[in-house]
Amino acid sequence: MNIAVCVKRIPKTAEADLFIEKDGKDIKKDHLVFHLNDWDSYAVREAAILKEKYGGTVTVLTVGPEESKEVLTRCLAMGADRALRIEKPISSDGHLMAKILAQAIKNQSFDLILTGVQAEDDGYGQVGVALAQMLGLPHAAIVTHIEIDGERALVRRELEGGIEEVLELKLPAVLTIQTGINEPKYVSLAAILEAEEKDMEEIHLEKIGLTPNEPLDAAIDQVFFPPVGKMAEILKGSPEEVVTQLTEIIKKKKG
Amino acid sequence: MKIDPKTFIQDYHLNVCIQCGICTGGCPVKFRSPLNMRRLVKETFFTADPSQLLKRPELWACTTCSTCTLRCPAGVKNVELIVGLRSILTHQGEVPSTVRDAFENTFLHGNPWGRFRDRRADWAKDLGVKILGEETAETLLYVGCAPSYDPRVQNVSKALVKIFQKVDLDFGILGKKESCCGNEIRRMGEQTLFKKLAKDNLALFKKFGLKKIITISSHCFNAFKNEYPDMSIPVQHYTQVIADLIEIGRLKMSKGLETHTTYQDPCFLGKQNMIFEEPRKILSPIPGLNFIEMDRSRERSFCCEGGGGRMWAEGATEGTRNGEIRIKEAVALGAKVIATACPFCLLTLEDAAKISGLTDQIVVKDIAELVSEAM
Repeated sequence: MNIAVCVKRIPKTAEADLFIEKDGKDIKKDHLVFHLNDWDSYAVREAAILKEKYGGTVTVLTVGPEESKEVLTRCLAMGADRALRIEKPISSDGHLMAKILAQAIKNQSFDLILTGVQAEDDGYGQVGVALAQMLGLPHAAIVTHIEIDGERALVRRELEGGIEEVLELKLPAVLTIQTGINEPKYVSLAAILEAEEKDMEEIHLEKIGLTPNEPLDAAIDQVFFPPVGKMAEILKGSPEEVVTQLTEIIKKKKG
Repeated sequence: MKIDPKTFIQDYHLNVCIQCGICTGGCPVKFRSPLNMRRLVKETFFTADPSQLLKRPELWACTTCSTCTLRCPAGVKNVELIVGLRSILTHQGEVPSTVRDAFENTFLHGNPWGRFRDRRADWAKDLGVKILGEETAETLLYVGCAPSYDPRVQNVSKALVKIFQKVDLDFGILGKKESCCGNEIRRMGEQTLFKKLAKDNLALFKKFGLKKIITISSHCFNAFKNEYPDMSIPVQHYTQVIADLIEIGRLKMSKGLETHTTYQDPCFLGKQNMIFEEPRKILSPIPGLNFIEMDRSRERSFCCEGGGGRMWAEGATEGTRNGEIRIKEAVALGAKVIATACPFCLLTLEDAAKISGLTDQIVVKDIAELVSEAM
């Protein structure tokens, strides 16, 4: 079973103070740390688990700047065999990302292509499903369980309201992986340092028949902080008083 | 880095074990987990397949307090055996998810909780503390992760700054440039990350031409003093500094703290680094303070369970926490204050006082807080 996993390097913003760039089109990133997108981390781990079960190889791909090599190294330490970095275009959207990945993947033979459900930074959730469409492959999104049965994949996917759907797909197929599908292992610094010795393929967009200036369907016009809402109530007093007030509110509102 | 279980016997002196059981007898988690140090040494010595040993959750129960190693009459390196086994697990990625997150956070953000690096020195914002790099000083106050980010322990950092400013001690902090010392990281088994942290921190210390380092945490103190390679700068725990200041008459405590106070010796300050006198020399002269000693003190101090990565590896233990036992001991002794000199002791004991419902009978304070109140 040969598996491709598409991954992305994203800035960690959960605890960070965020500022908007002067042009108003992005956040400032020079004070942030970058990491492998959380959903992709589950996808790579899932690929490694499937490889252990069914054999084959795992290839990781990313579209990104030189610095993206650090997430590919991490993926190699997680059990991937091959890594490919495609130089990023000048600007991009979900559709173009899918197009680039489709061009890179289409002439290679994979049984399964995995992506994360979405990226932590822009959160479009488009790339996986658009990629499936472009490659003409069946797909399932928000996948929480995978079993392989010969030429078919049996997958469970998450629906609204805690309901799960079971699907059977003919391979090759594209699956977008939900967090929680497995328990990602710790990737030790020693393993990462060892993986740095492994080869990594790097190509430019021209190599796959594209240019750095591909037209976009969607461009970011403006980013801004959401206006402060008026519904929040700040409870005042000692911790004991605040807890009493809070329990009263919960009691009142629970029905 | 490769860890080879075949070298364990030699590396950790397992062949000199006489199976006397003193290690197990002194272990502070022996009633709380299946961890039996005597048996573990024997099993590691005889096993042909160490992978079986690795599956035991109790490997994460050890607090690395080092009572076993310090008491061993033969010289077995029990704690290093635990660290060695955890190192294999770390290399295999098979660590509890909370430990995994602590490692990743430390690698990315320089602290195990994953708090934002730029906010590391927020606690010191309005205190007029020098930030090295912006201003110069020959003495560094190395703050550490818990004293930087934990709101309870930030009080200790602030108290210490107040004391140092009162005696005109010229010092600076590293601000957001400071990274975790790695003491707990090594004990949880991430030896390579520990080495990286040591290398990065040492490069910073060298860059600022430091002549002396003072630590707030006894864990950072231990790492710098005993485990950093080529550490040429003298390191002191803050209790040593304050004890000196009192002795030479530079720091005077005039306000009375009319209270019965006992003291929890932190394992990494007390039994592992033999700093027993200084904390007592600080507490005793506080006017009105009646110092009472617990039975289990100094070398026999009862571990609070906060060390060795236990802050990030809950589980693998059952029954009453050591902190609760300790708080009850202190209350039974008639103490109204239990003082300590370690962020982890402070947090575990304060949690224990809350869980036991004894917060109206005893308060947990760091020595720095008491001194700052008595100035």
